[in-house]
Amino acid sequence: MFKVIGGRALPAARLLAPRCGVWVESVRGRKSRNDPPAKSKEGRIKLPPPVDPVEMVVMKERFTEYNLIMRALRLEFKEEVLRKKYEEETGSLAEERARQDAEEHKILMEWNDAENRRMLKIRQLRVQKETAEADQRKLEMILKRDHERQAFIQQKEQEILQLQEDAKNFITLENLDQRIEEALDRPRNYNYAIDREGRVVKRTVLD
Amino acid sequence: MPMKGRFPIRRTLEYLQKGDLIFKNRVKIMTVNYNTSGELSEGARKFVFFNIPQIQYNNPWVQVVMFKNMTPSSFLKFYLDGGEQVLVDVEGKDHQLITQHVKKILCKSEEVLHVEALAKMQESNPANFGPKKYCLKECICEVEGQVPCPGTTPLPKEFTGKYRTQMAAAQE
Repeated sequence: MFKVIGGRALPAARLLAPRCGVWVESVRGRKSRNDPPAKSKEGRIKLPPPVDPVEMVVMKERFTEYNLIMRALRLEFKEEVLRKKYEEETGSLAEERARQDAEEHKILMEWNDAENRRMLKIRQLRVQKETAEADQRKLEMILKRDHERQAFIQQKEQEILQLQEDAKNFITLENLDQRIEEALDRPRNYNYAIDREGRVVKRTVLD
Repeated sequence: MPMKGRFPIRRTLEYLQKGDLIFKNRVKIMTVNYNTSGELSEGARKFVFFNIPQIQYNNPWVQVVMFKNMTPSSFLKFYLDGGEQVLVDVEGKDHQLITQHVKKILCKSEEVLHVEALAKMQESNPANFGPKKYCLKECICEVEGQVPCPGTTPLPKEFTGKYRTQMAAAQE
């Protein structure tokens, strides 16, 4: 008849929310508003339960004392929790810790800066070396190319000289007759064999 | 079922939990600039490949961003609370050296981690009953082997106070 509204659905994150226990609303159960009460309940007078005044007084006293103590304990515990939280965040110890943290952080940042400067120096040296090496290589290439060009020119000159030398022995129109006469006077025999080193091995006699 | 990818051990929980780079609370963003080729960036590449998963696993609230081939040299940059930026040059360094360096300047020390672990253990004291946010269990009826919650199964008659008072009254 009395439906309990679930306490689990409410957010339990409210740290110090008063826990009022069960929240109940009156509901008429199976019957609706306009249905008449049952015949068996005719003439029923609902009376509250009988109260013994002496017992009531005693119970009231005891309950007030009990509630007082419980409430005091609860508030004590809540205060302790709050105080701990406050000290954790803004207490003197926390300030001390924060200051120490800041100092350590500063020291570590300085160390990091020193490391970065060291790396910078190393990098500068490396870059310098690389540029120097690149220049060196360029110079060497230029020298090599010059050298090669010189060698080429030399070779061509040698060939020209050789050709000039050979030109002296050429057969021209002027000494044509003389050369023919010489060739006829001195017959040459080409019938010979040579070995691998080029020495003449055998000659066949020409008829 | 075989593991997938190169060095699939990086995806195992054991490997991830072994990572010991736990940043301080004020580190919010970590940025890694590195190059995909080059001898000098090798350490940074290895750091990204092996150590970044561990870092992200152990610091789920830190944003880790990677940039490739944006600068000629490789470096790490941390953005802290309050706008401070910390630059760490890692050109030519080995990935283990980088880890040690970062651990020294920006991670929680062993003592701090120890203290935090102790505090966490104290919080999860099984002897404390209360709201789920602060304690493990709310009522003794949730523990196995104890009397079940009378809200779900009715208690045997003998355990109810009502029955007991009745019996006591009947005896008198």
